[in-house]
Amino acid sequence: MSFFDLKGTLSPFSALKQFGRKPHTIQYPKEDKEAADRYRGFHYNEMEDCIGCGNCSTICQNAAIDMVKVEGQEASKGDSGLRPRVDNGRCCWCGLCVDVCPTGSLSLTKDYLYVSDDADSFLFTPGLDNPGGKDNVSFFSTKESSLNDFARIPMPELEGKERIKSFAEVVLGYNEAEARAEASRCISCGLCSEVCPEHMHIPEYINAIAGGNDQDALRIIYDNNPLPEMCGKVCTRRCEDVCAIQTRGEAIAIRWLKRYATETADNAELIREIVNPEIKEANGYKVGIVGAGPSGLTAAYYLALRGFDVSIYESNKQAGGMTMYGIPKYRFPEDSLQKQIDYITSIGVKIHFNTSVGKDISFEEVYKQNDAVFMGVGFLKPWTLGIEGEELKGSEQAVTFLHAANSGLQVDVGDKVAVIGGGNVAIDAARVSARMNAEVTILYRRRVEDMPADWEEIEGAEDEGINIVPQAIPIKFHSDETGRIKSVEYLKAKMVPDEGGGRPKPVPIEGSNTIVEVTAVLGAIGQQGDYSFLKGEFEEKIKTERGRFVVNEFQQTSDPKVFAGGDAVNRTADAISAIADGYRAVKGIEEMLMKKA
Amino acid sequence: MKENKVKLAKYLKEHFPAIIEKDYNYNRIDFSINRELVPSVLRLLKEESGYIHLSHISCVDWLEEEEFELVFIIWSPVDKIKILIHTRIDRNNPVMDNIDKIWRQANTYEREIKEMYGIEFTGLEAADEFLLEDWNGMPPMRRDFDTAAYASNKYYNRPGREDAMDVREEIARHSGEEIPDFAKKYSR
Repeated sequence: MSFFDLKGTLSPFSALKQFGRKPHTIQYPKEDKEAADRYRGFHYNEMEDCIGCGNCSTICQNAAIDMVKVEGQEASKGDSGLRPRVDNGRCCWCGLCVDVCPTGSLSLTKDYLYVSDDADSFLFTPGLDNPGGKDNVSFFSTKESSLNDFARIPMPELEGKERIKSFAEVVLGYNEAEARAEASRCISCGLCSEVCPEHMHIPEYINAIAGGNDQDALRIIYDNNPLPEMCGKVCTRRCEDVCAIQTRGEAIAIRWLKRYATETADNAELIREIVNPEIKEANGYKVGIVGAGPSGLTAAYYLALRGFDVSIYESNKQAGGMTMYGIPKYRFPEDSLQKQIDYITSIGVKIHFNTSVGKDISFEEVYKQNDAVFMGVGFLKPWTLGIEGEELKGSEQAVTFLHAANSGLQVDVGDKVAVIGGGNVAIDAARVSARMNAEVTILYRRRVEDMPADWEEIEGAEDEGINIVPQAIPIKFHSDETGRIKSVEYLKAKMVPDEGGGRPKPVPIEGSNTIVEVTAVLGAIGQQGDYSFLKGEFEEKIKTERGRFVVNEFQQTSDPKVFAGGDAVNRTADAISAIADGYRAVKGIEEMLMKKA
Repeated sequence: MKENKVKLAKYLKEHFPAIIEKDYNYNRIDFSINRELVPSVLRLLKEESGYIHLSHISCVDWLEEEEFELVFIIWSPVDKIKILIHTRIDRNNPVMDNIDKIWRQANTYEREIKEMYGIEFTGLEAADEFLLEDWNGMPPMRRDFDTAAYASNKYYNRPGREDAMDVREEIARHSGEEIPDFAKKYSR
C-alpha cells in the first residue's frame, strides 16, 4: 500500500454520479400510475342522462346493482326516478352493465382505489358519490359497442304511388319472424306503461311475443284494452316517445307489435277462445251508455264482464265513433273494427244503432231506465273558420266529408282540393281526397314542424304527392257565377316569437295575398262538443267547463249517477285516452253501485 | 407479408389437404383442421417453418352446436406472421390431444382450459391444480353455467341493501297500473 492511496480516496465520490439518474425504487410520496385506456374501475353514472330503466341491475350476474331512490332525482315521464347503486364488494368489473345501458349514462372509470376498515361500506351510488368521475371515464358505451339493438325492424308498406290508387291498408304488418325480432329488442323496463293513458302492460305482452307466446300476449293486451287492433293501427303511441331504446336509437315498435298480436286472431270467435274472459254472474244493475265510440265500448266491455246489464245508444248505423267515421279506411279497415265490435257484443253488450239520444230517445229516459249512465259523446261539431264565403257550395267540413266517405257515400270534391288545418283530421281529409284523384293542397297557419298531426301521417301525405303550404292564413273564399267555390285567397304569414313563451305565432303579411284555384275546400281546424241532448235539469246538473264535462278521478260528473269520457272530457282527444276514461269509469260505476248495495 | 402468407397456405395444403384457410388483414392468417391433425400441423410449423412461439390457446363454447372450438395462436419472429389454428371438438365428450411435448408452456393454458371449460387433455400434468379450489360443479366459463345463481348461493347479501326497488313495480305503483297475475311471469 502506497502512502497516498488515490483509488481509496476517490472511490466514495464515484457514488455522486448516481445523482442525476432516475431512481428505480417506489416514489415517495406515492404517485399512482394512470390506468389503461379502457380500464374498468369504479362506476360513474351521468345522473341527468340516466332514466332509471334498471337494465344494469337486471344484467348483473353478481346481483351487485340495486335500483334505489336517490335524492334530487324525481320520477317523470320516461324516468323511473330510480338510480343504480353498486355493491363494490360483489362487483367483478365485467362491464356488462355498461354494455347494456341504453342511454350510455353508465360507465367505468380509471379509479380503483378504495380503503376503509369497514368491509360493509362498499355501497356506492355512481355519479352521486363520485361527481368527479366524469373526467376519469375509461370504459364507456358507444352505439356500436352497446349490446342494445338500436335499429327497428322496418315495417313493410305500400309505395306512395300505389297507395293513392285505392283505400287499401297502407301498413302491411309484421310477419312472425319480424315481430319476434322486433320484440326481442325490448329491455322490459316499463317506462312506456307509465305514459300510456291506459297503462297497458306493454313489457309483458312484448316479452310474450318475443318468447313466441302470441296467445298470452293477446290475453295480456285484453286485460285493459278491448279495442287493441284499433290501437295497434292508429294509436298516438306516446309510449314510443319514452322508450329507453329511443334515447340513442329507434323506439321499439310497440304499436306494430300490438297490431301483430291482435292479427293472430282473425275473427271474434277466435278472440273469445284465446282471451277466454271470465264473465261474472249478472248483478242486476243496468248501465246505459251514450255513444259507441272507444270510451263507450271500453266501459261497456268491462262492465259486461263484471256482470252489469249494458246497453249502448249509438246514433250511427255502425259502432266505433270517430274511429269508424273519422279515421280513413286505409289506416284502419272496417273489418278490423267490426271484428272487435263483434267480440264485444258476443259477451253480452247490447248496442242500439240509429238511436240518437236527444232525438230518438231522451236523455231523461236513459237516465231513468239505468242505474248509471256513461256518456262517450265525443266532439262532433266542427269549428268554422268564420271567413267570407264559407257557406259556398263546395266548402265543407273535413269531419263531415270523412263521415260521408267512410259511410261509403258518393262524395264529389272535384279535382282540386284545399284542406285547411294541420291536425290528423286535416291530413286524413287530404289523403282521402288524393285517393279520389284530386290534386290536394294543405293550407296551415304555422310551420310544418308545428303541425299537431303525427309525423308519420305528414310524411305519408308528402309521399302521396300532397302539397303542404305552411304559414298560410285563408281570408276569403271566392265563388264562380253558379255560387260554387272557385278559389281560396290567403295571406302568407311570418312567425313571431311568443313573448309569453308559447309557440311562435303566425302574423299575416300585408299585401301577400295569394289565390289558389279549387273545386272544394275542407275545413279542419278542430271540433267541439254538442251537448244539446242534455235538456232541462240535466243541463244544469251536469257541469261543463270550457266545452268539456267536469269529472272526478273516476270520470264521475257533477251528477253522481252520470259518468263521462272521451274527447268530451280529456284534452288529449285520442282513442287510447278515451279507452282509459272508459276503463276508469268502470271502476267508478262498480264502486258506486256495489258499495251502495 | 402477403407472399409469405400465400406460400405458407400452399405449404400447409400440400401436407394437409383437408386444411381450410381464411386470410385476414395485415399479419394474421387462420386455418381450420380436424382435431387429430392439430399436433402434426403445430409440430410441422414449429420445426420446419420457424413458428417457434406459442402465444396462446383459447376456447369458444358453441353451446347451440354442441361443440367447443380450440384456437392455437402461434407466431414466427422471422416471418412476423400470426397463425391461428382452429379446431372443433365434441362438447359432450371434450377430449383434446395434449401438446406439451411440442411446447412445455402449453401446460399452463391447457390446465386453465381444463378448469374453465372442462376439456380433457390426454396425459395432462397436474391437471387439477390451477386457480379454483375444491371446485366440483360445472366449469364456470361454459355458457350454460349460471353465474347469477352461483353468486346468489355463494355470497351473502351485504346489509344496507334492503331499500332496493323493482323498476317495473315502482313504475306500476306510481301510475296505478294493475299487472294481472297471469302476466307477471313475463315481467322482468
